Amino acid sequence: MNGAAKITNDWDYSTLPATVRLGRDCFLEREGSFDRYRSERTPGLILGDRVRLYGFTDLNVEPDGMLSIGDDSIVVGAIFMCAQKITIGERVVISYNVTIADSDFHPTNPAARKLDAIANSPYGDKSLRPYIETSPVEIGDGVWVGIGAIILKGVTIGAGARIGAGAVITHDVPQGAYYAGNPARAVKDDRA
Amino acid sequence: MKDRHLPHDWFAAPIPANVEFGERCWIYSSYAFLHFRSRQKVGLRMGHDVGVYIGGMFEVGPEGTVEVGDFTALVGPTINTNGTVKIGNYVFIAHEVVIADHFAAVPADAGMPGRPAGSIAVGDNTWIGARAILLSGARIGEGAIVGAGAVVDFEVEPFTVVAGNPAKVVRRLR
Repeated sequence: MNGAAKITNDWDYSTLPATVRLGRDCFLEREGSFDRYRSERTPGLILGDRVRLYGFTDLNVEPDGMLSIGDDSIVVGAIFMCAQKITIGERVVISYNVTIADSDFHPTNPAARKLDAIANSPYGDKSLRPYIETSPVEIGDGVWVGIGAIILKGVTIGAGARIGAGAVITHDVPQGAYYAGNPARAVKDDRA
Repeated sequence: MKDRHLPHDWFAAPIPANVEFGERCWIYSSYAFLHFRSRQKVGLRMGHDVGVYIGGMFEVGPEGTVEVGDFTALVGPTINTNGTVKIGNYVFIAHEVVIADHFAAVPADAGMPGRPAGSIAVGDNTWIGARAILLSGARIGEGAIVGAGAVVDFEVEPFTVVAGNPAKVVRRLR
């Protein structure tokens, strides 16, 4: 039946790469969530018990990357871009259209950007890519990440924090805080 | 009632029995209802000449109902509610818009019990820009425009333009 099984959780999880550690009773809706998983680390991806991945969740883990998602967490279509290390705690909720990245994936220096564009072109030599900074992202237990939020490299979000819809997070968020807006700021009115 | 299938569909599931739509509607696929769990008599009612284009998702919980007027274009939004979402006539909703009860919404199956049901209304002849987010309490007045990426959880007066996160009025159209 035209591949519908691959997008409705009705596929064989045992086909996942050996470097994926899968907990008990996970729900992984789309097989395609793993299309861009290419970690060479062991493990390169840890999904805890009862983790639920919906929709277009994209586990884009590069060869040196390690992504872990704790027990009972729910991910509704987030894009993870992991070059080094992204750690998601337990009972975390990540809503629609979220992006979480531990690198800019390109240099910020203008001269280096030019070299990167050449090395990255369709027939370029990717071994000539300049150094690219990475910095781990850590999201604590029980955090809720709102619709369309973007969390960038080096950010630690403390346990129980709330990230509002559409917020862009480039700095640490303390435990239990509610951050919203772009640029994100601490907000007192906690609608969580 | 006999299962209803879209003639052009690539996805095997039928259109849920409690979905009603009028003449000359176009729905890209029954995939739009993958997470549709409304147990209401009519969980989704669309008027006539409505387009639901690729990526549109109706993620409606057991108590939820969605109403869409006539001549409205849903160009790929996600609508997630266990309450009521009411969208008027001649509305244009762009790509990757999310309309949701809760700022950290999840599909009904994921089960986040205890979250209150929301209420969202989008008036006639409005535009909702790409990646805008409408949360519970959003009431978009007739003829208003919500800018791309704006986050709205309040009443927007008719014929105003709001933009930003948090959204602010940036223009009045009359």
